[in-house]
Amino acid sequence: MKFFFFHLMPYPHLPADYEGPAWVKCPNRFYDPAAGTSLYNRYLDELAYADELGFDGVVINEHHANAYGNMPSPNLIGSILARITRRAKIAIVGNALPLYDPPLRVAEEFAMIDVISGGRLIAGMVVGGGPEYYSNSLNPTYARERFYEAHDLILQAWTQDGPFTFNGKHYKMRYVNPWPKPLQKPHPPIWIPGVGSVETMEFVARHDYAYMGIPYFHRRVFQRNFDLFREIRERAGRPADPEKAGWLVPIYVAETDEQARREYEPHLFYFIKKLLPGLTINPPGYTTAKSLLRIMHSFNDFMLSVDTWDQVDEGAYAIVGSPQTVAQKMIDLAGTFGVGNVLGLLQLGSLPAELTRKNMELYVREVIPAVRGALERRRSQPSLLEARPGA
Amino acid sequence: MSFHEDKISVRGVETLVRRGGDGPPLVYLHSAGNEGWPPALELLCARREVIAPVAPGFPGSGGLEHVDHVSDVALHTVDVFEALALDRPAVLGASLGGWVAAELAARYPKEVGPLLLVDAAGLWIDESPPAEIFGVTPAELAEITFHDQEHPAAQMLRSFAFGFDAGGKPVGTDDLPPDELILPMVQALEAAARIAWNPYLHDPKLPRLLGRVRSPTLIVWGDHDRLLDPIYARRYQELIPGSEVRFIEGCGHMPAIERPEALAEIAEEFLDRVDEGR
Repeated sequence: MKFFFFHLMPYPHLPADYEGPAWVKCPNRFYDPAAGTSLYNRYLDELAYADELGFDGVVINEHHANAYGNMPSPNLIGSILARITRRAKIAIVGNALPLYDPPLRVAEEFAMIDVISGGRLIAGMVVGGGPEYYSNSLNPTYARERFYEAHDLILQAWTQDGPFTFNGKHYKMRYVNPWPKPLQKPHPPIWIPGVGSVETMEFVARHDYAYMGIPYFHRRVFQRNFDLFREIRERAGRPADPEKAGWLVPIYVAETDEQARREYEPHLFYFIKKLLPGLTINPPGYTTAKSLLRIMHSFNDFMLSVDTWDQVDEGAYAIVGSPQTVAQKMIDLAGTFGVGNVLGLLQLGSLPAELTRKNMELYVREVIPAVRGALERRRSQPSLLEARPGA
Repeated sequence: MSFHEDKISVRGVETLVRRGGDGPPLVYLHSAGNEGWPPALELLCARREVIAPVAPGFPGSGGLEHVDHVSDVALHTVDVFEALALDRPAVLGASLGGWVAAELAARYPKEVGPLLLVDAAGLWIDESPPAEIFGVTPAELAEITFHDQEHPAAQMLRSFAFGFDAGGKPVGTDDLPPDELILPMVQALEAAARIAWNPYLHDPKLPRLLGRVRSPTLIVWGDHDRLLDPIYARRYQELIPGSEVRFIEGCGHMPAIERPEALAEIAEEFLDRVDEGR
């Protein structure tokens, strides 16, 4: 089991009486650049601290024009991380490929980060969230086509000797010849986040990439998606492999269950009520009409519909409690999900610096060893694993 | 309803065509709203054969993979004329279909007879950009489309309660309308977005192209159009040589639905006048 520290770099200072979306049209007069200076530096310190504490990796991603995550360019942050971390993998999950034209830029920047960091990059590739197609006026009806084509171009750029010609529908490049190429061979590991579309899972399975289940859903949605991903891998002739699946989840650890809830609840609900609204907007053609209907039907299992602490707890939207409670929940869920990577959001919403650090310390010192130990003990009793369907 | 539906092949693209009535042909090019056979066509087909082809990618028609730009739809419409053996038919285009009609008459002036542009998209005026149609709820769409919010069509649109509210929260998830009602609407918006997302609902080259139009042209506009302000009617009139404008009072963006009698009367009068002048 690998443990990653995921940071969204959220904006914690939206006005208390603001009730609009956090995306696309959230007025940027609410953004205070002076506050931004301390926030970026604080968040970078937290990512560096994760490396120091011994996390297997740090994780960042790309979002535009929003208060939810202030990383329009994750590659800028990734290149800083390449210098201020020493050992952790740097997972950028990912670059929204259709937003880069030509997407060769992604091949170049990812290669730079891989080379600078001595081969620590995990290259994430995403279609980009629905809001990005509004914020960048990019035609959503080409989202999937451009994603797949950009992926092919980047992979060829990394693995074939240049210069060569790439003749796609959307990208026509006569001289593909990036300098530098990545240090890791044949290329950095590739992670693809997804919300459960079959098409994405088939793509990930076909290429033997790793699938990251996008968070903020009820545990039954995760279960369904990870089960489906295992099935699709099997159909593609690939055995179940926990290393190829990751679970993104908000986590908060404190001394006791009561204290954890008391410290965390207001910051979690700042996240749910202030930063999530608008995330799920789905522009026309961005998914097939059938997928869109499936997504609409699953909204009641999405965190945006959560109003009470009991719902948070019952759905495992966030794993919160004492070290023992959190460890036990993670052992249970990681086991039934069959995932080998946990991407923990240990800072969320308005969670302040000191609580974030305490959370990280308790998680690394008390939760991770307990989870590792339990899962290793389980592995030495294979009958338990075999009893689980799809394992 | 006095129309029938056929599927025809237009250079290999399956195309749904609704037709009704008898007489000189009048081609109706539809809006982004997948309105099918709106009430105005029921009136117009009393004296004419009304032919309403469904544009590529809209419910009933294929071929979206061949469309990257509005000019692809205009050229496809020329192919539809060819497939249906229509010789310089009269063309009435509404909203998005009005944009297609304007492109068609400008790019292929010899293929089009009399031209009626009804609340047509296609142009951009900085002071009054077209309202947002993508990423709004059906209720908001009803508000910008109709002047009379009590009109049955406005009420029906509002009852499709799904999508996202102004605060970005999903609405109607507990009580989604049946899939067979949502799917065509979603498909129509996708086909519209293919040509209208960016540049939004317009073609920057169209103003210059409109000087090529040779059709007698009537521009018809709802005087309370909130999606495309009536100043767009004046801009079209300035750009199309010899064109005229008529406004329909107390009407929003879709006269073919909201004020069908008024639209039919204005269209008949114009088409009769053109026939007499020939």
